[in-house]
Formats: sequence, C-alpha cells, structure tokens
Amino acid sequence: MRRSLTRACAVVLAALALPVLAAGPVAAAKKPATTTTVKLQSTSLSGDGSTFQKGFNDVAIGYFKQLQKGVSISYQATGSGQGRTDFMNKVVDFAGTDAPYPASGPAPTDPFLYIPTVVAPITVSYNVSGVSGLKLSADTIAKIFQAQITTWNDPAIKADNPSAKLPSTKITVVHRSDGSGTTQNFTEFLVKAAPTTWTLGSASTVQWPASTQGASGNGGVAQLVSTTDGAVGYVDFSDAVAGNLTYAAIKNSSGKFITPSTKSAAVAVAGVTPNPDLTYDPINASGAAAYPITSPTWIMVYKTQGDAKKGAAIKAFLNFVLGTGTNQGQKLAATVDYAALPKTLLGKAKTAVNSIIVPA
Amino acid sequence: MAVSAPPRPDVPPAPPARLSGSDRPPGRLTDRLFQWAALGAGLLVLVILGLIIYSTLDHSWAWFQQEGFGIFRDDWDPAHGQFGAGAMIYGTFLVGFIALLISVPVSVGIALFVTEVAPRRLRRPVIYTIDLLAAIPSVVYGLWAFLVLRQPLADIYSSVSSATGDIPILKTLFAEPSVTGLSYMTAGIVVAIMITPIITSLTREVFATTPTPLREAAYGLGATRWEMIRGAVFPHSRGGFVSAVMIGFGRAIGETIAVALVVGSVQQISPHVLGPGDTLAAIVANQFGEATGVYQSALIGMGVVLLAFTLVVGVSARYVVARYDRRMGAVS
Amino acid sequence: MTTTAPTLGLTPGHRSRSRRIKNVIATFFIVLAFFVALVPLVFIVGYVVQRGSNLFSWDFLTQPPPFSARLPGGGMGPAVAGTLIITGAAALMAIPLGVLGGIYLNEYGGKKPLARVIRFLAEVMTGVPSIVMGLFVYTFIVLNTEQKNALAGAIALACLMLPIVIRTTDQMLALVPRELREGSYALGSRRARTIRTVVLPSAAAGIVSGALLAVARAAGETAPLLFTVGLVEDHTNWSLVHGINSALPLEIFTNAKSLFPPAQDRAWTAAFTLILIVFVFTIVARLVTTFFGRRTAVL
Repeated sequence: MRRSLTRACAVVLAALALPVLAAGPVAAAKKPATTTTVKLQSTSLSGDGSTFQKGFNDVAIGYFKQLQKGVSISYQATGSGQGRTDFMNKVVDFAGTDAPYPASGPAPTDPFLYIPTVVAPITVSYNVSGVSGLKLSADTIAKIFQAQITTWNDPAIKADNPSAKLPSTKITVVHRSDGSGTTQNFTEFLVKAAPTTWTLGSASTVQWPASTQGASGNGGVAQLVSTTDGAVGYVDFSDAVAGNLTYAAIKNSSGKFITPSTKSAAVAVAGVTPNPDLTYDPINASGAAAYPITSPTWIMVYKTQGDAKKGAAIKAFLNFVLGTGTNQGQKLAATVDYAALPKTLLGKAKTAVNSIIVPA
Repeated sequence: MAVSAPPRPDVPPAPPARLSGSDRPPGRLTDRLFQWAALGAGLLVLVILGLIIYSTLDHSWAWFQQEGFGIFRDDWDPAHGQFGAGAMIYGTFLVGFIALLISVPVSVGIALFVTEVAPRRLRRPVIYTIDLLAAIPSVVYGLWAFLVLRQPLADIYSSVSSATGDIPILKTLFAEPSVTGLSYMTAGIVVAIMITPIITSLTREVFATTPTPLREAAYGLGATRWEMIRGAVFPHSRGGFVSAVMIGFGRAIGETIAVALVVGSVQQISPHVLGPGDTLAAIVANQFGEATGVYQSALIGMGVVLLAFTLVVGVSARYVVARYDRRMGAVS
Repeated sequence: MTTTAPTLGLTPGHRSRSRRIKNVIATFFIVLAFFVALVPLVFIVGYVVQRGSNLFSWDFLTQPPPFSARLPGGGMGPAVAGTLIITGAAALMAIPLGVLGGIYLNEYGGKKPLARVIRFLAEVMTGVPSIVMGLFVYTFIVLNTEQKNALAGAIALACLMLPIVIRTTDQMLALVPRELREGSYALGSRRARTIRTVVLPSAAAGIVSGALLAVARAAGETAPLLFTVGLVEDHTNWSLVHGINSALPLEIFTNAKSLFPPAQDRAWTAAFTLILIVFVFTIVARLVTTFFGRRTAVL
C-alpha cells in the first residue's frame, strides 16, 4: 500500500516537474522574442556613419520594423569619420564606425558605448584574364599598391603562386576616392603584416602613388576592377560577392593562404580578446583559419539616454541586432554576407546594451 | 543675366512731397517700411557673405595655423598628418583651363549661330535646347561620364598617347594615359559641357547688343557675314566676351560632384593631362565624410581657398567689363 | 573712331573667291558648334530615359524604397517629397527676399555707394561654389542646432538662389522705362505704391522667369545637401525642422554606385524624375518670357 502511494507521489511529482523543467528551455527560446514583442511607443531614430555596415543595418532595420511598426529608424552611410563627428556633436541618435575614436583627437564628453554588431572580410579583388585562385602575401600586396610591382608576371607574385600562369599585363591599382573606413582597415593590415615594405601608413585616405586610380564607393571600385583588364582593388566582401568579383586568398599570420568568407572572418574575431570597452582588432589576428583582413564595426550609443521613447527604441533595436533567434540580427547577417559575432563577444555586447539607462 | 549692365538710370525721381491740400495719401509709413524692408533684403547679401567667410574660416583656422604658407605645397598625406593642397589647386586650374579650351569655341559658335546665322524662327528653339544642357543636374553628368564616357575616352587617350610619343612637348602632356579613363582631361570635358550653356548665354547677349548701325555699316561696305562679325560684332563684344569667359571659368572651378566622380582622385601634381588628378571641390566632397580634427579643418580650408579664387575671378570679370565699357563708351 | 577694329581691306562691290570661301567655312563651323553641343545632350538624356523611364510611375513617386538595396520594387517617395519640400522652402525664402533686394538696388539704391557694393557682392556671390555653401551651413547651422533637417538644406539652397534672383530682378527693373514711373507719381502715388502697382507688373515676366531658373538650378544641386539634410529612406518626412529628410540628387548619388541592380534602377528612375522636374521649370521659365515678356529685352 505504501509502495503504491510512493509510486503515485513520484508520478505526480514527475508530472508536475516536467512542465517546470520544460518551461526553462521553452522560456529561454522565447526570451529573445519578448524584448521585441513589447510594443514600443512611436518614435524615430536617426543614425549615420560607416558605409561598411550599411548593408547589414538596412536588413536589420527592415526586419525590426516588421516587429515594431511604430519605430522609424534611418541609417545614412556618410562615412565613419562623419559618424563619429555627428555622434560627438549629438547630431544623430547613434552612429556606426569601423574604427574607435583616435586617442589623440576629440571624443564625446558624455559616457558612451561601443557595441560590436557584425564583422566581414575586406577582399583584394582582381581582374586578370585567364587567372583565378590567386594567392597573395602582405608584402606582395604592399608592393602592388605602392606601384613597386607593375606587371602581373612579376617574380614576387610568382613566388606566391608557383603553379599559376601569369600574363605580362600591366597592373592598374584601384583605390577609394572617398575617405573610407575600409581604406583605413585595409592599410592597417599592411602596416601590421608588412611593416618594412608598406610606407604609406594607415588612414581613411593615404598618399596613393600617381599611377593609381580612385573610384567613389565600393561600387565605383568594383565597376573599375570589373571593366579593366589587369585591375586590382580592395572591396568589402558583400559588395565583391554582389559584383561577381574574383578575389585573392591572403596569407595570414600563421602563414596560410585563406579565402575571404564569413567563416574565416568569424575565426579571426574569435581569436582576439576585446578591450573592456569592447573595441578589438581582428586585423592580422592569429589563428590558422583566420582571414587576416577582417574589418570590425561598431554602433555607438550614449550610456544614458535623454528621451524615454528613443532610449527604449534604441535599446530594443540593439538587442534585436544582437539577437540569435530566427530572423534576428545575428542570423540575418549571413544572408547579406556578414559574419555574426562569436559567443563570448556577443555576450559582452548584450551586457553592454542592457546597461543602457533609459529614463522612465 | 546681362554681362555689361544696361545703362543705369539715376535713381527714379522721388514722388512730390505733398499732394493736393488735405488729401493726405495713406502710406507714408508703408512707404518707409517698404524702403527699410528692401534695404534689409539687400543688406542680407552682405550679412550672408560675411557669415560664410567667418564660419568657414573659423572652422579651418587650425589648418591655416598648422601649415601657414605650406598649404600650397604638394603633399597631401592624411595618414601622416600632412595637408598640403598644392596638387588640388593645380588640378582645379588645370581642369578649368581644359574646360575653357573646349567650351569657349563651341559657345562662341553657338552664340554666333543664334545671333547671326540662324533664321529668326529657329532662334528660340535653339536657345531652349542649349538651356536644357544647363538643366541636367551635376550628379547625372558625373554618373553618365563614369559609366558611359570614360571607357571610349580611355581608348582615345591611349591612341593619342602613342601617336604623340615623339613630339617634344606633347609627349609629356599626353604620357601615361589613364587606363580607366579617369583623368584631368575627362573631368575637363565634362565640365566643358556643363559650362557651355552659361558662356553661350552671356556671349549671346553681348553679341546681340552690337548696334545695328555698326553692322549695317559693315554690310554697306560689302563685307561678307563673317567679315561683319569679325569687324563689328567681335570688337564691340570684347569686354563682355572676356567677362563671360571668366564667369564660365569661375563656374568651372566650382564644379563638384561631376568632377569628384571622374577625375581619378590622385593627389599629386602631374603634367600628364590624360592621367588622374584631383581638384579642391572634388576632394572636399569625396573625403569630408571620414575627416575629423585638422583633416576636417584642411578640407573646409580648401573650400575657403576655392572661395577666394572664385571671388578673385568674379572681381576680375567685373573689372574687365568696366574697363571695356568705358572704352566703348568713348566710341559710341 | 577710337576702336581697334581690324582693317577689312574691302573693295566695295567685289567679293573675291577667298573671302567667299572664308565666309562659308566660318558659317560651317558656326553651325557645327550647335550640333557639337547637341551630341552630349542627346546622349545623356537618351541614357537617362533608357535606364530610368521603365520604372517611372505614380507608385515610384510615392512609395519608399525597400529596406534593403538588394530588393527590387519600391520607389523614391521620400526623396521626391524631400526635393519638393526643400526646394519649395528655399524658393519661399529666396524669391521674396531676392525681389525685395533687387527692388532696393534699382529703385532706391541706384548709384549710391552702398548699392554699388551690394550689387557687386551679389554678382560675386553667384559664383560661390555650391560645396562651400554646404560647408557653411554645416558649420554654422547643423553643428550649432545639433541636427540635420530639411530646413538646413533649404537655407543652403536659398543662399545659392538669393544672389541670382536679386541680380535678375535688378536688371529687369532697370529695363522698365522712366516714363512709367513718372506717370504714376504724377497721378499721386508714393514710391512703394508705384513699385507695387506699376513697376513690378511691368517687369513681372522677367522676374518670374529668373526665379524659375533659380529654382531649377537649386533643385538639381547635390553638394549643399550632402552634409546638411541626412537621408531618410523608410518614410516621407513632411516636416521642415523635425528629423532628417531626403532629396533626389542625394539618392541618385548614393544608389547609382550600388552594386545591386535594383538600387541602380531606382537611382536612374530618380534621375529621370529629377531631369523632368528641372526641364519643366526651365521650359516654363522661357515660355513666361516669351508670352508675357517685354519686347525690349534682348532675346
């Protein structure tokens, strides 16, 4: 009699426990949704800055709007530098940047946060008839872009590609005519990986040699590269894919030639420890499978928000961008050729977003 | 937009101070208010121009301070904190001159066509058509030139370059043609198309004011039309023509977006007109988005330098008109 | 005569062969010049029509673009509205002030030193590069008000238009005969009334035409709007002061360089729209002069 009672109790307890146990993972799966199903009050946010993140931001904003129809978010690709300036002068609510505020220059006076959102590779795209699968080391790239190597059959390129048949076509170097965070990160790679060969330094614009050509935007560079035999230029990955460009495998710090992809970019980021303010540098990162020219990008936001509606909206939007559920930011990234953040960095980013103070 | 202003009458006489007896017209106050309003509107020009100069100088002062006269040297290197604008100043003038070289003969031709050659009925349609060239936005010019014009031009450049390979001065001018078509020359060609309507319009107005007696005198002496043009129209129009050219030049150096897209964006002084370069307006439009600190001051400062050049050109144009007007005034 | 006209070496009544040939050659080049100018016009307009007329529709003028540049469909509604708002506001500011300024110069100022200075500066100001106007408004207004909006762009455009309207008004008013004014005074009107009822209507055609041309030029400008207006894409912002706005030249500039064909298509249709707007203003301006203008004006 006692035994059946014990058994009955066990069954009842189990029956009661099951939903509680099940509720955990179910609630956890539902959790990302709850941050955005709370209907936000109608407001409008404006941001500007990095052109690099625009492709991703557009998609994130588009999907976010489907959940929060009353919130209007605009992101204008003006360039990281203008983004930082406008953010500092509070001309915009948030800003995108591919590089942190330089230590020697002015910075916002109020406390603000760098929220990493996605990463993506910068490709070295080329157009040489009959040549594909090109491999390039940092030294060779430096010499090409400094116009020290002028034809495709140069010994330095041959050394990187022992089995390739290289024509004697003249090399036409294409760079950006507009100041660009992409230029800055590309040249930073050359500074780090080819320090003795590369002399032009790293900035949003450098003193390109007189025989090079400048084109406006990734689109302009892609246009020039794809219509000029012998051309080579640096183009963001998502635009290189859209433009059907051929890009090179680059030698990383471990000596391996890695093709740019969202995977190899993610590996690069995973191999880096971020600073406390979540700035980090994945360029020429260690890791056998890391793509060395990986560009980071952040959204900057003030820690203490002044407007209740805008503050709530921006917090919800950033949580969405960092969300890993279906059709949320991190999952959307791959659909537009960006790489999601690795788990640890993502967790730190979420903590930072949750620390944003919104007035009641 | 008359180049030589019509003979300015003295200020229209003021109305008589008093009218019949007690019939005080209402409106002495309105008259005053209106006068002050008009004066205020006129002064607005002074105020705005002053604000433009003040505000842009204020934000570019850091650059002028850092560089001093070094702003003219050919060393634009933001990565190392060097902001010498020499290459851009050179490029601005080079593109402007190329544009004038191409546009002025064409503009004079069209102006003569309208005033001397075309039948009366055709004049208006021709003018409307040339005006349409002015109506096309700068950004459309630039994009069309980048997508459509530059490749055929690149082929032409390489042919010209190889053809002049041995001729002394030309071989330097036409050496190292741009493979992509982006160059000083391409920018000059696009700007030439853009300034043709304004030079045509101004020149046309000057040509049309050639006094009929002067023309008839030439015909009376048995001149052909071309001889009449050379003998009556051109001498009469010299001042206005030079002024029109200078105004066209002023516009040419200010062209921004179209040049930014096709000039090639290389910041070095180069004698190769078929190769890439850069101009003041283009580099500001291109690089402002990423610039901060002294870099941004330098870009705003280049805007100030461009403004200074434009003002000088504008003042000179006016001076030329005044001089020639005085001369011709003595004649008629 | 003190002119320096070249001697023509003419013998009355006889035209030598070489003179006739020179005349023919000159005439040939003169006619050729016109066709040379026509070539780029035809090519550019043709290209814009070819790439931009397909998508042109009411939907295109009113719908916003899709949230991603990769997606087809949508339109340039926010940019069309933005262009209308910004150019409209600029016109509302520049035209009345410009006409008043021109009135001052011609009716009250004449040859007085202040008027001379203002006239000179207005002419000089017509040559200020549009990028400098943009920089001015950015440093003076955007940085101080801490926001980008349609009004900032409108102010930049108004500064570009103002000297043009002042100069046109000044010149058109100068063409009105003295007798008209004197007659009005003789009938007992004060100066302001004379200007309002007699002088302005007489010069109206020329002033309107000049104003329309100034508006047409402003509508096509990109550089002054680059750093001042922002770029809203998901909805149309009818407010002048609240929030960023958009404009056709900006959208064309941004999207035509895109690598995604749908964005390019939208950019060229926007270019088609913009050219239509500017053409209409230009042609109306010319028609106004033709049908309402005084015949004393030079053609």
